[in-house]
Amino acid sequence: MSAENLAEKLPAKADAGETTDLLLLPDGRILVHGLTESFARLLGELAPDDEQFSSRIIHPEKSPQ
Amino acid sequence: MLCVEAIAETSRLKTRAEIARERAEIAHAMLADCRFCAHDCRVNRLAGEQGLCHAGAEARFFSAQTEVSDELELIPTFAVALSGCDLRCAFCITGESSWNARAGQTFNASAIAAKACDALRQGARTIMLFGGEPTIHLPAALEFVAAMPPDARLIWKTNAHGSSQARALLVGMFDVWLADFKFGNDACASRLAKISHYGDVVKENLLWAHEHSELIVRHLLMPGHIDCCWRPIAQWTAENLPRVKVNLRAGFWPAWHAAGHAELRGTNSRADIDRAIKIGHEFGLNFIN
Repeated sequence: MSAENLAEKLPAKADAGETTDLLLLPDGRILVHGLTESFARLLGELAPDDEQFSSRIIHPEKSPQ
Repeated sequence: MLCVEAIAETSRLKTRAEIARERAEIAHAMLADCRFCAHDCRVNRLAGEQGLCHAGAEARFFSAQTEVSDELELIPTFAVALSGCDLRCAFCITGESSWNARAGQTFNASAIAAKACDALRQGARTIMLFGGEPTIHLPAALEFVAAMPPDARLIWKTNAHGSSQARALLVGMFDVWLADFKFGNDACASRLAKISHYGDVVKENLLWAHEHSELIVRHLLMPGHIDCCWRPIAQWTAENLPRVKVNLRAGFWPAWHAAGHAELRGTNSRADIDRAIKIGHEFGLNFIN
């Protein structure tokens, strides 16, 4: 199947559910693009010491009005 | 009595939505001689002609979701990514959709505004239009603003390569301009994004944005570009936009066509990130995360 045909069978991102792109580096760093709340919570559990995720986990009781 | 009522009606201050609706019509007519970005192509997009961004008259989008990866003071933000861009940054992280104005789906301003309002009800703090580059889709962007409630905090995430004509239509429409300052010199801009006169254009846009709205300046730190790009950006920003919020984004990854440039085949080292932050502190930048 050509890449073009495959692309036609895949849902467009605008059609898909939430999408986050990750790049895992050999040194353990995790780079993220388009981080969603659910993925931030997941990454926060996997890397609890990484402030870039913990600071982005929205706690409902702390949500701004 | 009728006269009084007439005066009262005409003197009533228009809402943002009303102004946006009027400007959307103007912007749509301007597609016949497109001057939205600094490329100033002057093609008739209504007749199917294409400029450097290859965008037609119809706006499309490739993502619309609530995200938390932007500035802490803006998140959660319901972020809408419009397809197509007037720049050709080799390292574009969404290159496939950002370089292709026909990617994704047709942008229906009312439908996406309804989703944005849902997101606000569920806790989103802001609504962000980005891309690609939203400037090339100004009619659709203004239709979107027209469909949003007056108290919605709207973010214009831009490459700051717009024209004065575009800026005139954007006055008072967005609460925050989140503007990229990508390159610190025109040679790097030309080599990596196929763009000329970058410095003059972006500086003009940033100064204007600072005058007309809240401004946050973003720089994506590129490997090997600390001294040629980041340092001059930090210096200019400190001298011309003191106390403006600056977000140094160090999470570069070699996306899209970055591999075509030797220095962009990797990520930033911890040492380089620390050095870049130190440069910013030396210039007294007002860093935010």
